[in-house]
Amino acid sequence: MAARFLSKSSSGSSLLGALGTSLVGVGSVARQTTSKLTYSDIFFQQQRTFVQMGTKLKVVDNSGAKRVMCIQALKSKKGAKLGDIIIGSVKEAQPRGKVKKGDVVYGVVVRAAMQRGRCDGSHVRFDDNAVVLVNKQGEPIGTRVFGPVPHELRKKKHVKILALAEHIA
Amino acid sequence: MRLEKCWFCSSTIYPGHGIQFVRNDAKIFRFCRSKCHKNFKMKRNPRKVKWTKAYRRLHGKDMTQDSTFEFERKRNRPQRYDRINTEKVLQAIPKISKVKATREKDHITKRLSVGRVNRRTEDRRELEQSISLVKAPSVLKEDATLTLPKQKVTVSYAQTENTPMEE
Repeated sequence: MAARFLSKSSSGSSLLGALGTSLVGVGSVARQTTSKLTYSDIFFQQQRTFVQMGTKLKVVDNSGAKRVMCIQALKSKKGAKLGDIIIGSVKEAQPRGKVKKGDVVYGVVVRAAMQRGRCDGSHVRFDDNAVVLVNKQGEPIGTRVFGPVPHELRKKKHVKILALAEHIA
Repeated sequence: MRLEKCWFCSSTIYPGHGIQFVRNDAKIFRFCRSKCHKNFKMKRNPRKVKWTKAYRRLHGKDMTQDSTFEFERKRNRPQRYDRINTEKVLQAIPKISKVKATREKDHITKRLSVGRVNRRTEDRRELEQSISLVKAPSVLKEDATLTLPKQKVTVSYAQTENTPMEE
């Protein structure tokens, strides 16, 4: 019951979106005593929200970057979902790569822990938040993509990433 | 459109229901409802969770091997559309599912019948032994109708006049 309330508040409201998951987490602990959820249940029922400013994402191509922090989610006030483009700052990079630490790059979210609805009514969610670095035109900087990618990218016209992918979910 | 099976409880997932979880090793887990999804997140093994099909099949509660399961097996070879074949298949599906349902029901009835027989023998034994708790044995001896019917005696009208009352 508490988890359902949390999901309604987090996905709909833009107020909570700015504060991220921290406030939602506090609220859930407060509700612990009223519902029958134990501490371990809350721990496993993490509320997943959008990719927003400050979100750290894994980079799954061979462009040289390892981790990227989102500084802006384009096209949405709430945040980026699966398949959206973000602007990120490279936080961690491999020594010899096409991008260095501190670069501001564009990226396409290829895996998101928040579920995304598909047109047949089903929902998909992945295990982590991952991004593929692209240039302003939408072409990937790297030459390989690791891990599964969703076929939402086809609708968003990221065909090159799909071509490089090893598995399409 | 494809009807999938829930990874946790093995029920069919109809379109528009459930969540699909893609792990980083590209293994896809489909869940029919949040109950199964949450159990998965709690890392529960479906073979140990009593209400799942996996548990029931493993512990012999439900039918495991039957020829009706062959019809539902996933075949990866695409088949050319054949109108006559499709019609036949659509007619056969309800018949097969009916046969499967009756066989599964029979399997469960057979499994439970042992318990039924045991319960009846135990009830009979309890009745014979503890009838004295209900009525005193002397009272039972007086009135013939209160004793347990041990055997059926076919009575013809001529005989009832002659047989004396039990005392």
